[in-house]
Amino acid sequence: MRFLEAENLSKTYIRRVKPKDGGLSRLWKRDTQVINALQNASFSIDEGELVGLIGPNGAGKSTTVKLLTGILTPTGGTCRVDGRVPWLERREHVRHLGAVFGQRTQLWWDVPIHDSFLLLRDVYSLDKQAWQRRLDELVDALDLAEFLATPLRQLSLGQRMRAELCGSLLHQPRLLFLDEPTIGLDAVSKLKLRAFLKEENRQQGTTILLTTHDMEDMLALCQRVMVLGRGKLLYDGQLDALLRRYDTVHTLRCTFEGAVDLSALPAAIRQDRDGDAYALTFAPAEIPTGEVLSRVLSCGAIREMTLKEQNIDHLIARMYEEMKL
Amino acid sequence: MRYLYHAMRMNLKSIAQYRASFLMQNIAQFIMVGGEFLAVVVLMTRFSSAGQWRAEEIMFFWGTMQLTFALCECLGRGISTFAYYVGSGDFDTILLRPRPLMQQVVGHRLDPRRLGGMIVGAGAIAMACARLNIVWTLEKLGLTLIAALGGFFLILGLFLIEATVSFFSVRSIEMVNVLTYGGRTTCEYPVDIYPRPLRILFTWVAPFALSMHLPISHVLGKPLFDVPMALVWLAPLTGPVFFLLMTRVWYIGVKHYRSTGT
Repeated sequence: MRFLEAENLSKTYIRRVKPKDGGLSRLWKRDTQVINALQNASFSIDEGELVGLIGPNGAGKSTTVKLLTGILTPTGGTCRVDGRVPWLERREHVRHLGAVFGQRTQLWWDVPIHDSFLLLRDVYSLDKQAWQRRLDELVDALDLAEFLATPLRQLSLGQRMRAELCGSLLHQPRLLFLDEPTIGLDAVSKLKLRAFLKEENRQQGTTILLTTHDMEDMLALCQRVMVLGRGKLLYDGQLDALLRRYDTVHTLRCTFEGAVDLSALPAAIRQDRDGDAYALTFAPAEIPTGEVLSRVLSCGAIREMTLKEQNIDHLIARMYEEMKL
Repeated sequence: MRYLYHAMRMNLKSIAQYRASFLMQNIAQFIMVGGEFLAVVVLMTRFSSAGQWRAEEIMFFWGTMQLTFALCECLGRGISTFAYYVGSGDFDTILLRPRPLMQQVVGHRLDPRRLGGMIVGAGAIAMACARLNIVWTLEKLGLTLIAALGGFFLILGLFLIEATVSFFSVRSIEMVNVLTYGGRTTCEYPVDIYPRPLRILFTWVAPFALSMHLPISHVLGKPLFDVPMALVWLAPLTGPVFFLLMTRVWYIGVKHYRSTGT
């Protein structure tokens, strides 16, 4: 048996809406509308995997996460995490679960974050020494030492996200859900956060499931992605296979100081000339962005450059087209 | 228990962050409830009695209700504002923690700003006692205490009705408040001054008469119902029983939430 197994997981909501026509009867008549938030999703995840869950808004990402965390009960199908059915064995299930939902905080807004961590020790009934050791580790890895006495509301977005992560990992969960962890963060914070998550996954063997719209998040973190669209699991597999299938490309536009010879660049980078500027197109699945940058930098002095990525929505749009959704 | 204690301390720390606001709101509460108190006093000096009750006796009933209700709003804030957490998604966070749900809901929010209301309530009781020359015995003290406790749980139970309804409907909550806030206002006065339908409502549906009025009427020496003393002591149990019953119903609501979500 795998660590997480979902079989034909489905969730339908019934929404009551006012009928469009009809005179006075609108006051009491209600039409029902069935919404398929998730349809027959089957997948499994092994312990220690880092999986990206992607898809446009309303695709069923949060429904999936809510089902797996046990917040919701499915209307069909079943799922087991570590042998437990989330919505039947809530307390035992959530004991080994961490979750950070982007917009929603689970720490206390007006008190120093250290106090929140103290309360979490009681919430999860953690041993005092083990808790302290783990807290020290996380505070160190997440650079939180100087904010421990600061109330959450006074922290910046990036600091807050780090505090949230610390809070969700204190009890050493085996499964961690992250909802858009890098949203709104600056470039440096993003890089640090990604590095931390990778390290956490490697060292603690924490299984991580994250939803994101950020292509770079996915490239940096997930080898495997699941793509959801209109409540259906459209793709489940390797990220680079998916990128190759839709040849996702990035374009690096740059101008150089003086003349430059780009003939040394590998064939994986397509070169186009546009006046003074060069447009270098490449597939990050084939050649990492960092490598392209260092190669280009070694060719000459750059005066100006921009990197444009084909975003995930573009990719999803093309998947939709193909799957005639 | 340890968790609950720490959760409450967290709430106090949060409030300590806004000391001026805390003070102002307590003063506001004090003035508001104090104003109501003055209205009662004015009414009572004008009419001097209601049914078999003297003004001072009415004041005793009024004070216990104020004190109990303010205590409920303070300690039961998590329950009385629960409908809001369903809307805001805070309840999802509660579901993600390995603690009994009701414990977390109660620990979620405290409201010590009700202190102002409690002071007025206690003041009204003290004033009534001084004027009535009640000879305090252990029995009378016990009866007053269980009246307050019975009322406390009864009101929490009533808060739970609204909390449960919020799982099923965003609106129609106002309807439910009739019993809670209507109950408080009505049952500030002993139930026997009201017409029969109200007496039945607050004896058998929202049993303020059994949990509060009956024991207090014995403290004041004017028994409300002709029942054996043992029953007088047992009657306030209707409060905790009502609360436990509503907790069960609330848990059914939780199941409904988890099968629909918001």
